[in-house]
Amino acid sequence: MSPARAVLRWAGVVTGLLAVAAAHLLARGGADPATAAEALLGDRSGLDHRIVAELGAPRLVTALLTGAALGVAGLVLQTALRNPLAAPEFTGVNPGAVLGILAGLQSGLVPADSAGGALAAALAGGAAGGLVTWVIAGRSDAGGLVVAGLLGGALLAGFTTLLLAYQPSRFGNALRWLIGSVEGRVWEHLAHGWWWVCGWTLLAWAGAAALGVLSGGDEHAASLGLNPRVARALLLGAAIALSAGAASLAGAVSFVGLVVPHAARWASGGDPRRGVPLAALLGAGAVTLADAVAQVATRLLADGGAAHRLGVPTGVVTALAGAAVLVTVARRSRHLPG
Amino acid sequence: MTSVRQAAPALVTVAVLAGAAVAALGLGTPLVAPHALPALIFEGSAGQGAPVSVESVVVWELRLPRLVTALLGGAAVGAAGLLLQEALRNRLAAPELIGVSSGAALAVAVCVVWALPVPLALHPVAGLAGAAAGGALCLAAARLGRSPAAVLLIGAAVSAALQASLLAVLSVADRLQYDLLFRYLVGSLTGVMWDQVGYVAPWIAVAVPLVALCVPALGLLRLGDEAAAALGGRAARARLGVLAVSALLVGCVAGPCGPLAWVGFLAPLLARRLRPHGEARAWLPWSAALGAAVTVVADLAARTALDPVETPLGAWTALAGVPVAALVLARRTA
Repeated sequence: MSPARAVLRWAGVVTGLLAVAAAHLLARGGADPATAAEALLGDRSGLDHRIVAELGAPRLVTALLTGAALGVAGLVLQTALRNPLAAPEFTGVNPGAVLGILAGLQSGLVPADSAGGALAAALAGGAAGGLVTWVIAGRSDAGGLVVAGLLGGALLAGFTTLLLAYQPSRFGNALRWLIGSVEGRVWEHLAHGWWWVCGWTLLAWAGAAALGVLSGGDEHAASLGLNPRVARALLLGAAIALSAGAASLAGAVSFVGLVVPHAARWASGGDPRRGVPLAALLGAGAVTLADAVAQVATRLLADGGAAHRLGVPTGVVTALAGAAVLVTVARRSRHLPG
Repeated sequence: MTSVRQAAPALVTVAVLAGAAVAALGLGTPLVAPHALPALIFEGSAGQGAPVSVESVVVWELRLPRLVTALLGGAAVGAAGLLLQEALRNRLAAPELIGVSSGAALAVAVCVVWALPVPLALHPVAGLAGAAAGGALCLAAARLGRSPAAVLLIGAAVSAALQASLLAVLSVADRLQYDLLFRYLVGSLTGVMWDQVGYVAPWIAVAVPLVALCVPALGLLRLGDEAAAALGGRAARARLGVLAVSALLVGCVAGPCGPLAWVGFLAPLLARRLRPHGEARAWLPWSAALGAAVTVVADLAARTALDPVETPLGAWTALAGVPVAALVLARRTA
């Protein structure tokens, strides 16, 4: 690819992301573009300004961070495991993180609105979930890993259900975590998430060269002087950290970590050094767009008179769109087992 | 010797069923001794007017309908699981893994949560439509001839989308009703009374002869599509019929109990283990009986394990089903 075309492509991706972000801010309704711009520049004079600055903007940042984390986590998982179907939701990591958060809330270890506590609980749960899948999978092939991930996810969901049933009154907004929503996130919720996600994304980018070497096979990596086991363990750790970060921000937003990396790999020509930042940008754009759609749908439903507590959750939009994309791709793909 | 070995699994299954049934009727508050049960049931069924004891009300009005629903629902889902697995020749094709259960649960949940003007008696029809739509969506996407893992992956995608819709439906309800959430997400028998039994039983009665009609078709499908065609059978039509019957079974149960997660996976698996040299015809009754047994035992756990809190039945079947599934996979690859 010539440098000029590469620059054009990156510019296109960034412009698209900015456009999606602007659409997200305006999708809520109530603020015209001028008000939103003033609010972002520090004007706090009117109610609309404050709504944009204190509700709209953190929601947007949450969506961007969640998407970026999921996109990169998925790309790292798929490349390091050399499995086009590996994704946070299909490796037990995402269900585990949700279970961790709910268990933390249940046991009282995590205060209800503590951002750092949710992150730690999600991290512990995500690691445990990945471990469960790894134990179930044993030494199976690509298809077997997916099956193991689904089974591990079902097991973790069973525990989650038991936990919810045990004391439902403690989980006023458990649905948020179960399905994934960025509704009502404010700046306090982002206190730890932003540096966690940004930091691990940069680390994953730094490790992208190793990722590229690993994708060529273990023997290939060893012959180049890279210990494949150590490298893979480190990269998987980064993927779990990113998935847990996303889960602690927005709960289990599904299918972003599965679909976005495919787009990123296709657009980057398979080079992880370009693929990691692309996956971050595309993932951020995907979740933000999904949340914009969710906000519009919520407004339409509210106009229609339907009562709503949480609005239409973002996770519903990503799940429906992601399932459609996955089914389309799976029908065409020859990489799938079978 | 051989007759003893053949009879042993039957005896064990009957014993487990009977034991679980007595426990389901007796355990809880108030605790009822087994020998007192017949009298209490008779007293409760004697009907209105006569002054009755608390025990007989609890046993007759609460525990017995729940037990009957568990038996009927478990048997239906167990049989449906076997039909699906045989028709698709895929041991992982459990109803919850290929969109059938989630479709049925979604359809019924929409009727209940949004209070659509659908009479309770027609909820099984809604469930049937949802089950058929979910399964058809999945199979159309996956195409029939592909490998188990590919069908499973697409089934997971479709199921996830259906479950997400289910959660969305529940989240726009006025007030989050956790019992509804659990029932339609994983399956639960909380609060089942004789009314619900009355709505389900006729559909099961309709389904039984249909299931019997499926048996010859299963033998045909087992041959594989080419061989079946060579013998003059119409494999595609037979498969469609079997799939429709299994959708009926799952759909009519979804109303009162939800999807009864993993029962449709566990029961056929156990049936195959008990009769390793059998064929579909022999597995079918076993699968139904074991499905009923699994459901009754799981409901017992759901009711008593974390007493006084009731837990969803489907969570317990998932905790039992997943390790079993993992073992099956490990054996197959080994």
